[in-house]
Amino acid sequence: MVHEITTDANGNRHGSDGAVTVSLLSAAGSMFKRRAIKAAGTEQAQEVCWLVAELNGVRVYQNGSAVIVTTEDMYP
Amino acid sequence: MAATVQIIEKNGAGGTGTDKTSGTVRFKNADNATVDTSNPMVKPVSGTDYSFEKWLRMNVTGGTYTSISNVKAYSDGSSGMGTGVGVYAKAVTTYATPAEATSTTGYTSLFTYTSGSTLTLGAGPYSSTGEKGDHLVLMMTVADTASGGVTASETLTIAWDEI
Repeated sequence: MVHEITTDANGNRHGSDGAVTVSLLSAAGSMFKRRAIKAAGTEQAQEVCWLVAELNGVRVYQNGSAVIVTTEDMYP
Repeated sequence: MAATVQIIEKNGAGGTGTDKTSGTVRFKNADNATVDTSNPMVKPVSGTDYSFEKWLRMNVTGGTYTSISNVKAYSDGSSGMGTGVGVYAKAVTTYATPAEATSTTGYTSLFTYTSGSTLTLGAGPYSSTGEKGDHLVLMMTVADTASGGVTASETLTIAWDEI
């Protein structure tokens, strides 16, 4: 599932995977999808999408029901 | 919406691309994307057998997106291929016809690249369709200390940021 990111009239960004929505209530910071193809080049390849919201150096990573808050730059 | 992304293997002087997103990339002693037992890697009596290079690249074929950036490659950090078998990697901007490697100079072991220490394939930002970022050039070595037979598969992750 690849997230959808939208921006409302106030500049707030909302990212959703259809089940969970993460909202960044600030025009500052950033929100993006960190996508990956794991096991690329094999028949076991699978796509992964994390939603990342960052504000003042703190990142929120959301993938399904898992949410991580950290200052680290993490990859799937 | 999201970009539709493939991982392609490029071969020949023209760099003809083959979608390998979920297809096997087989190291061999020839420049082709065919998954067969022709031109196999051979355990040498002494020294090292080097494979032909594998030139892989991200290819955006469609979808809707604004920009792609921060393209990375990494492994799980552990080789399951056994003693005497290595896989090496480097990032190269401009395509060249895949050749048989002759040393590991300029390469780094793929298994040193992990989710915590990635190989950068381009900062971007990139837009529209087509090939994006640097090529990921891989090659395999088989030393005289290797066991014969078919090795286990290894996994590679290609990651990117997208808005």
